[in-house]
Amino acid sequence: MADYREAPLATRPKTLDPNEYFNLSPDYRRAEAERAALRAGLKRQYQLQLNNPHRKELIEDPALNRWVYARANPYNHFKATKKTSLLGALFGVAPLFILYYVFKTDRVRSFNWMCAGLWVC
Amino acid sequence: MLKILIPTLFLLPTTWLTSSKWLWPTALTQSMLIALGSITWLNNTTDTGWTALNSYIGTDPLSTPLLVLSCWLLPLMLLASQNHLSSEPMNRQRMYITLLATLQLFLILAFGATEMIMFYVMFEATLIPTLLVITRWGNQTERLNAGTYFLFYTLAGSLPLLVALLMLQNNTGTLSLLIIPYAKPLLLMPFGSKIWWAACMIAFLVKMPLYGMHLWLPKAHVEAPVAGSMVLAAVLLKLGGYGMMRLMIVLDPLSKEMVYPFIVLALWGVIMTGSICLRQTDLKSLIAYSSVSHMGLVAGGILIQTPWGFTGALILMIAHGLASSALFCLANTNYERTHSRTMLLARGLQIALPLMTTWWFIASLANLALPPLPNLMGELMILTSLFNWSAWTLILTGIGTLITAAYSLYMFLMSQRGPLPQHMLALPPSYTREHLLMALHLIPLLLIILKPALLWGWFAC
Repeated sequence: MADYREAPLATRPKTLDPNEYFNLSPDYRRAEAERAALRAGLKRQYQLQLNNPHRKELIEDPALNRWVYARANPYNHFKATKKTSLLGALFGVAPLFILYYVFKTDRVRSFNWMCAGLWVC
Repeated sequence: MLKILIPTLFLLPTTWLTSSKWLWPTALTQSMLIALGSITWLNNTTDTGWTALNSYIGTDPLSTPLLVLSCWLLPLMLLASQNHLSSEPMNRQRMYITLLATLQLFLILAFGATEMIMFYVMFEATLIPTLLVITRWGNQTERLNAGTYFLFYTLAGSLPLLVALLMLQNNTGTLSLLIIPYAKPLLLMPFGSKIWWAACMIAFLVKMPLYGMHLWLPKAHVEAPVAGSMVLAAVLLKLGGYGMMRLMIVLDPLSKEMVYPFIVLALWGVIMTGSICLRQTDLKSLIAYSSVSHMGLVAGGILIQTPWGFTGALILMIAHGLASSALFCLANTNYERTHSRTMLLARGLQIALPLMTTWWFIASLANLALPPLPNLMGELMILTSLFNWSAWTLILTGIGTLITAAYSLYMFLMSQRGPLPQHMLALPPSYTREHLLMALHLIPLLLIILKPALLWGWFAC
């Protein structure tokens, strides 16, 4: 089509690659055309909103909303697999016991040193 | 004390009787005068330390910084709420100001209480106006969930405290904070006394919050309107710290063994919540988790019961109150313009609102504890006293400080630098009100650099 020349290192997009294009079945081309029409409709909707002189608010991006919701509500879809249980134990449970042990032995040892007069400040 | 309490009480008739044209200026002026009057409390000249003392209320070097902070915050809350309330009917605006004023009243009575039961009743009473503000004036549907978490976490933690206080009253015959330090220690069965210790502390640890019991905080902070977030972050969390500091005196011989799990939770929580901050997409949620992180350090400082630990905790509480409240106000300026809390949406604001960037910068620097701000003083004192307690804590607190710097810078760079979204049209320039609000937050923080001894509590040398 038209004057598309690819950049030196880029690959041709699939719909413009002549090998692909002329090997495709008519059904496939029709489906691709429908999808392209849907995309064009979405882009038109976005452009209408973008250039609307009476628009005061942000353009709502449903994909962003879904992503933000997913990042904010992980526990609704949480499943206790082996990996998640291991991670939970490794970062949530084990450090508490390890740290308790470390602090306790350190404090007991320094207390004993202080009692025995070995603590050099 | 009465010269602050009575004007605060009479803020309630003021809001209902002034005409709608003069409501906000009048409420602001009155609360500002109360705030300026409360600064006189910082002058502690008595030998015993207790000033403004009567049978029920008194102030001492521990409570005066927190009292001044809560009085200072009311005009700031009113300034911050003016915009988003301007579209509501008059009666609802008056109701909002009434709720904030009653919250202020309860907070003054809580911090000024000399009797522990009065402190407890006021501690619980502060929950109600906050709950009403969160659930009625919050912006998303999750606010009901947030209110439920907030209320029930705190209540579940504080009912054992009531039982514990009543037991203490039975045994010592008094719960006055002036007498309790000199009373005999409570002698119970070994296991019973451990439960009693836990019952005393859990309420405040949930309020602080401690890492394992912190789930209510991000929800409540995110769903609350700006005044609710401000007062939650700045003052209500400190109620927990203050209660712990008061009760530590009574709990003494038991505390040597019982504090270990809670110090471990607090310090590990500093790192975990700091790491969560780095992965947040919601700006208010990031600031909320940073509050948990800082309060973990405060909890660590209080639980080790050393003079420097207490002093560092008190300074960090005040400094964090001002800095965190400033950050929530900044987040609100973003929210009012884009109606979204997503950080990705409000990027590159340095191009659009350069003066606000100054405030963002100072507030982020305060959050990451830049010298010579009091945030650093508090953190350093807690760090060194924790190091003295056990040298291994330095690993945790050191990593925590690094992560704090990382997420504070991440928040600043994410919101200010980078490409401005191209589809954003209506970014009104910063209002003078917003600049005033930020100045009133950050100028006291900068002034504290000059005399931090005001905030050192009982150990000001």
